[in-house]
Amino acid sequence: MLLKVENLNKVYKSGVHALKGVNFEVRQGEFLVVIGLSGSGKSTLLRCINRLLEPTSGHIYFNGKDISHVKGEELRRVHQQIAMVFQQFNLIKRRSVLKNVIAGRLASIGTLDSLLGKFTSDIYDDARESLRIVGIEDKADERADSLSGGQQQRVAIARSLMQKPQLLLADEPVASLDPATSNSVMQYFERINKEFGTTVICNLHFLSLVRRYATRVIALRDGLIIYEGSPNEINEEWFRTIYGEEAEEVEIR
Amino acid sequence: METVKIDIHPKEIIRRNEEKKNKFNFVKAIFLDIFLVFYSILVLHRIFYYRFVLDLRDIPFSWTQILVVLIISIAAGTAWTFTRTSLSCKLFGIAKNNKVTKWTVELFAWFLFDITFIAGWVVTKVSIVDIFSPEGIRGANRIFGAMFNPEFGIFDDALSAIIETIYLALIATLISIPPTFILSFFTARNLMKDTLLAKSIYYVLRVILNFIRSIEPLIWAIIFSVWVGIGPYAGMIALLIHTIASNAKLYSEAIEGIEEGPIEAIAATGANKVQIVWYAVVPQIILPFLSFTIYRWDINVRMATIIGLVGGGGIGTMLMQYQGLARWHEVGLIILMIAIVVWVMDYISAKIREAIY
Repeated sequence: MLLKVENLNKVYKSGVHALKGVNFEVRQGEFLVVIGLSGSGKSTLLRCINRLLEPTSGHIYFNGKDISHVKGEELRRVHQQIAMVFQQFNLIKRRSVLKNVIAGRLASIGTLDSLLGKFTSDIYDDARESLRIVGIEDKADERADSLSGGQQQRVAIARSLMQKPQLLLADEPVASLDPATSNSVMQYFERINKEFGTTVICNLHFLSLVRRYATRVIALRDGLIIYEGSPNEINEEWFRTIYGEEAEEVEIR
Repeated sequence: METVKIDIHPKEIIRRNEEKKNKFNFVKAIFLDIFLVFYSILVLHRIFYYRFVLDLRDIPFSWTQILVVLIISIAAGTAWTFTRTSLSCKLFGIAKNNKVTKWTVELFAWFLFDITFIAGWVVTKVSIVDIFSPEGIRGANRIFGAMFNPEFGIFDDALSAIIETIYLALIATLISIPPTFILSFFTARNLMKDTLLAKSIYYVLRVILNFIRSIEPLIWAIIFSVWVGIGPYAGMIALLIHTIASNAKLYSEAIEGIEEGPIEAIAATGANKVQIVWYAVVPQIILPFLSFTIYRWDINVRMATIIGLVGGGGIGTMLMQYQGLARWHEVGLIILMIAIVVWVMDYISAKIREAIY
């Protein structure tokens, strides 16, 4: 078992109880999609898994090791092994695409070398290879903010590949992209999942994308898992349970 | 591997946090109520009773009186907080069954504003008579007349003095950049919130910088003209110190205003603190930093002329000498030159800052 989440609770300082005892497991090579309304705790869950947030109680076992409260050097190793892609891409806008991708490797570069911008040719090769995987090697020297949304997200994926992660988290990676671009970006996640065997956990909104890419789905509502299973079993009834009575599925292809 | 065990239920944590917050707010409410009572009584008593009722020109000062008012307000204010009419309880939103309406709050706010305005008027000794006295107007006329007829005989001296001033400001600004740059990271709240040590450094540095900044460069110039001797060097150090303190605040505010996303993303790659700052923070703030610094050079040229008045060198020292001799024609020329240089600096710095963005 790659990841095991046990009775996970997260209470924010503001008093919001975002996760209320979440339990699930993820096997090596899965493409797990997390669905649920905004505010249901999806983002909090991902941020707890890669420990950008510290859970209030409960346990997260990664490769059998409890990482729920690790600190310092150990925490940085957890960050390095679990990569993350964000909704807003979070690139460094004024830097080149290549520099942005290299930033994914910072954990294994010495502090002084990274301040001086001294990178070995291996790192440059890896960065160009990562860009090739997401199909934008020709943009390497352009400024990150000159790229389109879809291209920026692909740079972010290339950056996460530089970490050679065992687990790739994606927090609504296509929520700020148009439907056509969304699908093409999702294909890169699928490719990484299939070709490199990287386990992916992804928050998504559109059920059409969920059905197409997920091998398994969990649904969150008010910080609790209310559905766990195959994407094709989400029928009309389940849909209303997850998204509320008012919800109606919109088809975007 | 040791893990931290948390046995209490999350709901309990929420409740405790809420309780702690309410207790803290109640203490704050007591202090605010005391302050409101103290301020109102003091102003009403000193300004209205002495000035308007007794019609005294100079208001006497006595510690015993203030102490009496303080004791009365501590008693009254604390008692007030415990009643249902407490204004502070309303403001902090902690009182149950509070009788204070929005209308009452507004009325009290107006009351505070009015007594403050009237007190300010009295303390400043605003006088319509003085500004229209014929004697005063004649004197002003004479000086203005002389200044609009500048004496160009001292042009060469004034020119070299004003060049000294510009360079003095430039050097102060340039030397300030590295220390300000480093300090700004340690005084940015969003970078210094993680550990207790970081928070302490943040607060200590903030207090020191606030203290330095609250002392005008004019005062620093007086101190350093004694320390290193009268002249441009003293003026430069005075400007340097004030520039560091002021710009560290501006820089750190720029850091506090950056996008958190890239920081989170770089942290998520496993980078260490220094790397996060260098890769996610610095690229976002380089331009605002540059812009502030250029603007500060502009400000420093203006300040350098003032600093000269107390022995900081440059055109200000020259201005003070001629003003002391009441040679208004020469003063006129110096003021004219300062105005031109300030205007040109303002224009140049605006253009450079525009070009940067």
